[in-house]
This record gives sequence, structure tokens and C-alpha cells, in this order.
Amino acid sequence: MLKQFDIRRWSLAKREAAAGYFFVSPWLIGFVLLTLGPMLASLYFSFTDYNIIEQPSWVGLDNYAQLFQDPLFWQSIKVTLQFSALALPLGLLTGFALALLLNQAIPGVRIWRTIYFLPSVLSGVAVTLLWILIFNPKIGIINQLLALVGIDGPGWLSDPYWSVPALVIISLWGIGQTMIIYLAGLQGIPTDLYDASKVDGANAWQRFWSVTLPMMTPVLLYNLVLGLIASFSYFTQAYIASSSISGGELGGPVRSTLFYNLYLYQNAFRYFEMGYASAMAWVLLVIVLLLTLLIFRSSSAWVYYEGELRGRT
Amino acid sequence: MNRKRFYLVISLVLLAAMLSSSMAAAQEKTKVVIFVGLGTGTAADQITRQEALAEEFNATHDDIEIEFLIVPHEEANTRYLAMIAGDNPPDLVGPHGTSTIAAYLDTWADITPFIEAEGYDLSDFYPPSLKLNEYPDLNTGLPLGLYPSFLLYNVDMFDAAGVEYPPSDYTDTSWTFDELRSRAMLLTLDENGNDATSPDFDPDKTVQWGFDDSWISIRGLLAAFDAPNVGRPTTDDYKTAVANSDEWVQGLQWFSDGVWKDHFIPSLEERAAYESAGLGTPLDGGLIAMFWSHSWYLAEMREVYFDLEFEMQLAAPSFNFKGTRVARIHADNFTMPEASKNKEAAWEVMKWLSAPEQITEVCLIYGCVPARMSAKDEFSAAMGEAFPGLDLNVIFDSIDYLDTPHHESWVPEWTKVEDTMEYAGGLIFTGENTDAKAVLDEANAEIQALLDEYWAGH
Repeated sequence: MLKQFDIRRWSLAKREAAAGYFFVSPWLIGFVLLTLGPMLASLYFSFTDYNIIEQPSWVGLDNYAQLFQDPLFWQSIKVTLQFSALALPLGLLTGFALALLLNQAIPGVRIWRTIYFLPSVLSGVAVTLLWILIFNPKIGIINQLLALVGIDGPGWLSDPYWSVPALVIISLWGIGQTMIIYLAGLQGIPTDLYDASKVDGANAWQRFWSVTLPMMTPVLLYNLVLGLIASFSYFTQAYIASSSISGGELGGPVRSTLFYNLYLYQNAFRYFEMGYASAMAWVLLVIVLLLTLLIFRSSSAWVYYEGELRGRT
Repeated sequence: MNRKRFYLVISLVLLAAMLSSSMAAAQEKTKVVIFVGLGTGTAADQITRQEALAEEFNATHDDIEIEFLIVPHEEANTRYLAMIAGDNPPDLVGPHGTSTIAAYLDTWADITPFIEAEGYDLSDFYPPSLKLNEYPDLNTGLPLGLYPSFLLYNVDMFDAAGVEYPPSDYTDTSWTFDELRSRAMLLTLDENGNDATSPDFDPDKTVQWGFDDSWISIRGLLAAFDAPNVGRPTTDDYKTAVANSDEWVQGLQWFSDGVWKDHFIPSLEERAAYESAGLGTPLDGGLIAMFWSHSWYLAEMREVYFDLEFEMQLAAPSFNFKGTRVARIHADNFTMPEASKNKEAAWEVMKWLSAPEQITEVCLIYGCVPARMSAKDEFSAAMGEAFPGLDLNVIFDSIDYLDTPHHESWVPEWTKVEDTMEYAGGLIFTGENTDAKAVLDEANAEIQALLDEYWAGH
């Protein structure tokens, strides 16, 4: 009976598999207990009315049905889309442009890279508090600079029309992470491609357009997907800014920064409607999943995979 | 050792162990855990003083010991609910105000049976303060501390503008919202020194405002106008929304005009300017002539009071358009979770914290006015040392005009109703919609929908 547990009698493949499972078990256990378990629990809660204090009661699809009739749900979708439409392309372009600049052979390039990367490792809370001062309508440096050229700056975070653009500007502060990934991609482009294009008489723009850009499209795809997920998960800056500026109106002023995740948080931890918040979380997952799939489906038209092409020849 | 002797020794050892453990059990104190964090009490200085309070209690009680469980304010909501849900409830929660008591109303025990069982004497508490804890089927706790509201004003600004000071005399009926507006406009200045009554006044270049009441919820702001349900946006049965009552519309329009027509109240954008510019709080930043706030604001100013670059004084809140005065109040007390496993002991601790011997000491930790009338002199003496020169009678006289129903009192879907009202206020103070009637009609419809949904499920 116990013979089957005698490892010495196991085949090499079986022993290797057992060793593999043993070594990944910390991650597996962590994943099951801390990620998969809570995910499945939240899926269950999304079909219940649950306020933490009382036992959850099954309500079927009510939470999902209620979501689509909730005007604040649509407001949060609108705000998130507005932000994504501005922050995502701007972040991708700025990160790429910075990476191109910092890929040049200039003196002190490592220092410059560090300087541009540094903000991305700073605490979101501290950075947001700093930006609240920068955006101060009266004494903030931005409006002071605008005043020098005769422009009466807006109220930024306290103005419902400017609050989202202000948060987009804040988001650019953290593009160091994206920039580093671009930089790694740029340095992975074989130099012989540039050499060959130079021999063919290509100028700098042509080299960028016909060599750099195609070779960077897998990295662009990667950053696009990550950026999309990040923009739909946007929370900290909006939370800090609105609770500091709008007299405590979370998502203010006048719901102009009521991001999807902020509304989800409100439902979970302010209204204690855990079932409703769980339903929101799953709807968010579906939205992001669909958009990600759309991006992947479109990638065959614009992403260049050198390995794939080589494999086909 | 033979077998008999061995069994005898073992029996004696076991007997001694049983006796000592039962004696220890008999002497073991019931621990009352006091959850601190939903309201005040988490500042370093307060923690130290609370620990001293716990030592004082534990040294004088043989059967009960207390322990203050300090939870950072930002985590307190979830921690409290997690403790309740995890069947590990605290025995007392506090000190905290009417708003958090309302937000978790379903979780509190009714202390009426304790009061009735021993005929506990409530006559020393300010009568209106007792009402703040009373709900139709529930008394949430003994009054502990009150935070009356009043006007704080910058004497130097009044002197510079040659404007008469607001009165500290609560019987002065000439002190109305219209009068406040007139004086506030004279105290509002642009960067060229023009006041808000001047045709040359430039509202885009305002450097000093006459009046501000922004450190309060919109329900609190509007309670002053004495609608039939004072600070509550529903009727007595909580089934009909009345957020668009004539009094609230008139009151909110007064604020709207104060910001956008008469310019003596800062807008949200202007508030953001002084709040985030490192200028301290509205009054000590030196940008506001009159600020309506509570005694907790005064407590916040304790450390800067002697460094103020101007003289500060207190005045009575003004009479509203109905000729009445409502000086909204905040109140703190300790509440007992229904889930507590040591209610009897918790009741003893609740009484001790509010007892005449301790209440002043406890209130000085939290900056509130003791809810016992007998503690007035002791507390006044302590406050007089901290704020020499201030007319402290203004604080005590304000208690007679508190708002009931209170502006933080429970309504169905309390937090959602609060958020709806804050949104309405945001529309006014951002200038998105300056028509108070339209704004409150919209808020009323939203609140009614929330009430309907709530009652459909109850």
C-alpha cells in the first residue's frame, strides 16, 4: 500500500514533477488563498445582498440589473473613459518620446534616466498632495506661470471641467515605469538593422519609421494593455485629490472625478454594499477583458513579431 | 516513594492547581475594550492621556479593567465592522459623534434598560444633549461632551474696516443673517482694498472674505434656517424627503448669493486656495473675518492661539429669516455595540467616563464641553487658561439653541443621503448651478428615491 508513496520507486519524470510542484507550492498556496479564494468569494457575494454585519442573502442577478439602472454607475464609466481617452495615449506617447531621448548617447544619460524614473517609485499619496499644491488656483506654480503670459488659470482640481485633465497631468508624473520598458525595448533592437538602413540611405526619420517603430510595436502593445488596465483601476490620486479639495465630497467636485474604482470603493466601504461592489468588480473585469481582447485581436494588423515571421519562413 | 504516597502527592498537587485556578478565575477582571478611532482620540497626546485614564480606572476597580484599542481613523470604519462580523466586538466605541452613530445605528445596544434598572439620574446633563442620543426605540449612550457652534471672528479686520463687532449677547435680535451679510460685505476686500459693496470691487481678486461656514456638512449648513425638520431632510416618519423645504431653499440661496452675487463667502475654488496653501485653518490663515464653527475648532487652535497675529473673539450665531436661532451642535459619546459580550461591565465604564468626577478630565482630552451642567465652572477655568481673553459664555449659551432633529441624525440610507446633499452643495459652491430651488429639488428627488428603495425592503 505504502509502496506508491516511496519516492525512490517513482519514475524520473514523476519525481521531477513532484519537485516542481513542491517548489511552486508557496506561490500556489498564496494564489489559492489570497487571490483565487477572494475572487471566488467576491463572485458569490456579487449575487447576494451583503453588508458585512449580517449574513449574505442570495439575490440572484439583482445587483447586476441594478447597476445598469444606476446613474452614478454610468457617471463613473463616463469619467473613467474620459480619463482613459486622455491619459492612455498621452502616457504612451510621452513615455516613448522620453525613452527615445534617453536612448541617445548623451553625457550623464544614466543620471537623466534615474531622474525621470524616480517619480514612478514615489508614494501616490505624497505625490498627489504635492500636486494639489502645484494646482492651487491662487498660489500654485502652474497658475503663476500661466499668469506670467497673461492667462488666468482655471481652478484645476476644484473646477469640475478641469479636474480630470488635472489628474491626467498628474498621471504623466509616473510614466517612468513605461519609459523603462520602452528603453529596454529600444536597446533590444539589433544595431545591424540600423546599419543596413543607413547603407540603404535611410535618414533618421525613415530609420525611426521603418525600423524603430515596427520593432517596438510588441512593447507598445504591452504598455497599451498595462496602461488600459491601470487607467480602469485608477483610484489613489482621485481619492486623495477629491477628499482633500472638494470639502470631503469623494469623487468631487460635483462627481466630476467619480472614477469607476472610486464608486466601487464607495459602495464597498462607505455604503457597505459588498454585494453591489462585488458585482461592480466583476463588471469591471469583463469590460477590461473585452477591451484587452479587442486590442489583441487588432494587434495582428499593427504589431510586428520578428520571431513569428522567421518561424513562418 | 511507595505507590500510596505517590498517589497522595499527585492528588494534593492536582487539588492545589484546581484551587489556585478557580481563585484566579474569581479574581480575574472583566476586560472592557474601548474602540477609539471612529471619532477623535487618536492623536499622540490623546493616546497618552487615555492610557493614564485607563490606569486610573484599573487602579480603582477590582472587577473590571479597561483597555483603549486605538485604531487609525482612516481604518476605523472597516476595522469596527470586521470586529463585529468576526464575533470579536469591542465593548464600547468612542468617543464619536452623531454622524458615525447614525451610520452604524443598527449595531448599537439600547442603554434604556440599564438606566431604568437602577434609576440612573440624568438630571445633571444638559436636557437637549439627552435628546441627541434618543431614537424611537433606542438610546445610544450617556451624553459625554458637546461641541457647540458659534462665530469666531478676527477683531483686527473689524477694527481696520470700522465695522461693528458681532454681538456675544444671545438676546440681541438685531443680529440677523441680513445684518451678517451687510457686515461681511464690508469686510470682504479685493487686492486693491475695495470692499464688496464698492462698484470697483473685483471679485476675481478677492484677498479677504467676510464670512465662511465651510467646515460643516450641507445639512449642518442648512439647519440654521430652522425648517420644520431642522437638520433632517425627511419627515418624522422618515418616509418623505423634505430637502427642498422653503427654509432650506431660502438658506441655500443666501449662501449661493453670498458667493456669486455679494462675494463675501469664498467659492469652492477660493476655499481650495486657502485650504491647500499652507495657511492653516480658515480663520488663523488670516483670510476670513467671521468663521462659523464648533468648539472642536477652538481645540484645534489651542497650539496656535498664542501665536495668532490678530486678536480673536467669539460671537453668537445670527437669527434666521424666521426670527429664530439654531446653533447647530456636535456631540460625542461612547456607545455600546449590541454584540458586546460584557454589556454590564461596559455600562459601568460608560457611567464612569461620564461621571461628575471624570467628565471634565475626559472632555479635556477630547476638547469637548462636558455635557454635565455641574462641570461648567471647572471646565471654564481650564478653558480660560488655554484661551485667555475669550468670551467663553458664548460657547455655553449656544447649547440652548442646538439643532433637533440634528443635522447628523439618522435617516434611511444615511451615507447616500449625505453624499446627495454634499453633491447639491457642490453645485452651489462651484457655481455649476446657483439656483438653490433647482438644486434642492433635484436632491430631494434623489433622496426620495433612496427612501422609497429603503422602505420597499423594510
